[in-house]
Amino acid sequence: MADPAETASPPPADTSAEEPAQQNEARFSAVATGQKFEVPVLALQNLTMFPETVVPLGVGRPRSVSGVEGALATPEKLLGCLTVRPDRSDDTDAKSSDLYDVGTLVMVKRMERLPDAMRILVQGTERIRVVEWKQEDPHLRAVVEVLPEPRTVDPEQVEAAKRNVQQMIQEALALLPNVPAEVRIAVLSSVDPVRLAYFLGSILNLGVEEEQKMLEANTADELLRLAHNNLGRELEILQLRSKIATEAQTEMDKAQRDYVLRQQMRAIQKELGEDETGEAAEAELLRERLEKVELPEEVRTEAERELKRLERLPPAAPDYHVIRTYLEFILELPWLKSSEDKLDLEEARRILDEDHYGLEDVKERILEFLAVIKLRPDTKSPILLFVGPPGVGKTSLGRSIARALGRQFERMSLGGVRDEAELRGHRRTYIGAMPGRIIQSIRRAGVNNPVLMLDEIDKLGNDYRGDPAAALLEILDPQQNNTFRDHYLDLPFDLSRIFFIATANQLGPIPPPLRDRMEVIGLHGYSDREKLEIAKRYLIPRQTTDNGLNQAQLKIDDEAVELIASRYTREAGVRQLERNIGSVARKVALRIAQAQAESVVVTESDIREYLGPPRFYPEQARKELPAGVATGMAWTEMGGEVLFIEATLLPGGRGLTITGQLGEVMQESARAAQSYLWSHAAEFGIESEIFKEFGVHLHVPAGAIPKDGPSAGVTITSALASLYTGRRVRPDTAMTGEITLSGLVFPIGGVKEKVLAAHRAGIRRILLPSRNEADVDDIPEDVKNELQIVFVSNISEVIDSALEVLVANPPPHVTAGDSARGSREPEPEPLTVKGLDR
Amino acid sequence: MRNSNRDVSPILDRRVSPSGRLWNPAADVYRASDGWVVKVDLAGICSDELQIEIRGSLLSIRGCRRDTHYREGFVFHQMEITYSRFEKTIEFPSPIEGAAVRQDYRDGFLIINVRT
Repeated sequence: MADPAETASPPPADTSAEEPAQQNEARFSAVATGQKFEVPVLALQNLTMFPETVVPLGVGRPRSVSGVEGALATPEKLLGCLTVRPDRSDDTDAKSSDLYDVGTLVMVKRMERLPDAMRILVQGTERIRVVEWKQEDPHLRAVVEVLPEPRTVDPEQVEAAKRNVQQMIQEALALLPNVPAEVRIAVLSSVDPVRLAYFLGSILNLGVEEEQKMLEANTADELLRLAHNNLGRELEILQLRSKIATEAQTEMDKAQRDYVLRQQMRAIQKELGEDETGEAAEAELLRERLEKVELPEEVRTEAERELKRLERLPPAAPDYHVIRTYLEFILELPWLKSSEDKLDLEEARRILDEDHYGLEDVKERILEFLAVIKLRPDTKSPILLFVGPPGVGKTSLGRSIARALGRQFERMSLGGVRDEAELRGHRRTYIGAMPGRIIQSIRRAGVNNPVLMLDEIDKLGNDYRGDPAAALLEILDPQQNNTFRDHYLDLPFDLSRIFFIATANQLGPIPPPLRDRMEVIGLHGYSDREKLEIAKRYLIPRQTTDNGLNQAQLKIDDEAVELIASRYTREAGVRQLERNIGSVARKVALRIAQAQAESVVVTESDIREYLGPPRFYPEQARKELPAGVATGMAWTEMGGEVLFIEATLLPGGRGLTITGQLGEVMQESARAAQSYLWSHAAEFGIESEIFKEFGVHLHVPAGAIPKDGPSAGVTITSALASLYTGRRVRPDTAMTGEITLSGLVFPIGGVKEKVLAAHRAGIRRILLPSRNEADVDDIPEDVKNELQIVFVSNISEVIDSALEVLVANPPPHVTAGDSARGSREPEPEPLTVKGLDR
Repeated sequence: MRNSNRDVSPILDRRVSPSGRLWNPAADVYRASDGWVVKVDLAGICSDELQIEIRGSLLSIRGCRRDTHYREGFVFHQMEITYSRFEKTIEFPSPIEGAAVRQDYRDGFLIINVRT
């Protein structure tokens, strides 16, 4: 049913016909501008239809469906689309008065029916204005007039606005990746500004009012301005939203990532059996322990502070484990826990005797200290320093003391420790920080009053990192060590109840301030007899058991042990002796295991078979000494030794030649001896000419071993005196002592070792400085009984006691008569022990 | 993850597309020995409303299609045919001004002979 309506006035149609000529794309209109005709009207809610756009619409309301059907009933399928004013809120069918006057004429291009609605595709063609409403029901109808297309007032401004709009569209599209390609192309290639503006109006969600404004714009300038403003605002919103979305996205991504990782970690921890309940329980457990354990107030405060920190930290935090380890350490330390001393002196004596043979003086001193502790329990524990050669039982003595006292024993070796931090710990700020060795030993001991043995204190090193000996000064000072601060703990710990025992092989390397803090107890070497006893009591039983034998299967008789001690070992202690006994035991074990014997008794003659040829041939007393040779005694770390000093005259030579790696002190002793003899030549019946005409060479074997010390003075004097007088030194006599230029004999150290060595070497007569008389008490009775000991206080006595009266080898320059007389007429004089009969 | 952008593109809420020409019927152009033959896919037009115009090397065809089969009492169930005005402009490589034009309407095709 066609509605041609009244014919329109042609003039406006003409204006529109002129303009398309300038544009390469002519616009079409279904009807001519200015025409008035009646069309069905479709009320659009929240949507404005623009010319030149194609929009799919769903139509559901009966009135709207009727309207569309009314349009379809015409040959040209035209429909007026008017928008409902936004102020209307109820949901009833819109009346004609609810609609804007200006709308768009659309052509229905497609229609399809859905179960209870229809879907249409409409194409906007012209703007229209309602002239007169014709009907409300069953659908709206109105007479409308076609409005002219917006005029362009200022083409340049329009073009500029268009370009701006296109620029903004570019930007907007960059933010909208999902816009279909056809839309992009259509928008960007659009050349007609009005068309572009209408299209923007229809796609931007501007709201009905803005859209209506754009639709009603009568000039292209106005239309573009509105489009520009709206697009600008939309773009801004779009950018802002995109930014917010991106931020939200990153935030969510991070949160999500953390969440996923945490879930994974939880799963892993669960697999490992350390799920979070475990962590929570860990802090809880520490708290429980903290409440139970006895701690000094200061320590408890600190521990609680750390525990609070721990509870706040996630277990993954790097500090978590540092704090946990620290707390555990604090809880494990015996701050107030100490062991009860058992101070039964009889029992202590018994234990010391049981563990060690000999060492009477040492045991005596230990017992003295124990007695003091018994009488004054709060007394500061003494700090003992055992000095002695290796293998004499310093360490095991410490163990015995702990046993005798009923205390825990802990031992730490200081050998090679060269960093103060090893003793005192590292600050907790360092990665891998640990408490120092002192505190660690105490933790191991589990009580705060153990016997703590500082082994090899003479072998402390030191370098640029600090001097550990300096740290020991604090640790070993009873006045300061009750508030010892380990760097790691950073809390004061009371060390004053610890019984410190240090050991050393030599006193020399120990810094004097440190030595000063300790009670020095010297442990000497053992005599052969002591070694035999030690072997019988401890070494043989131990080695027998260690090598899988029982006491009945292996017996080593005394002579065999003595042989091992003297010919297969050279030591002050008993380590090598034990090792050799071990070798014998193993060889016996082999024979017994091979069923070659049931039990074995090892005798002296078997030793060669078990241990091979003897390894050491100790210097033995020589049966006869030529003139100019004297037997001396020396102290070494291994114990004592016998050595021979040889002197010979060099005809036409000069001065004193000294060989045998003698140190400064010993060379000076030699010069002093020679000078003394020279100055007292007449007294000893020496012609002083001999000093001028002959040089002297003094040699001390073994030449490869460096020797030094003043104690050979007496021996050198005897050798030289023998050389000058021709009277031989008695071969059964060994001697030691320092001399002075005025002829006095000064005391020396190491008497016991020297005498024992001499005794071992077969010497039966010893010359000692009289001021060493007290040291003779140290010598075991059995040895002493076999020796004749002569005390001397000046060189005359030495020469009287050491030299034979008979001139055996007269000095060369007196060959003329004296020597013949001397050798021919020996004047044997009775040898006196202490007498001086000149 | 990317599709979270969806909530920032309200622009696409309406499936709007620019219209282009209202209706652009398809056309074939043959080159003949004596000129051109243009065939346009145009069924159901009223030939008396057809306008053919030559300007320079351009040939414009204008007209419209109306639904003439609608009768009183009909209700559309489905509509897919476009009823509207149309304009088709064909450009030739050389000017055709002054050529003789003959139009013929056959089998739903509009045939235009342009004899130069």
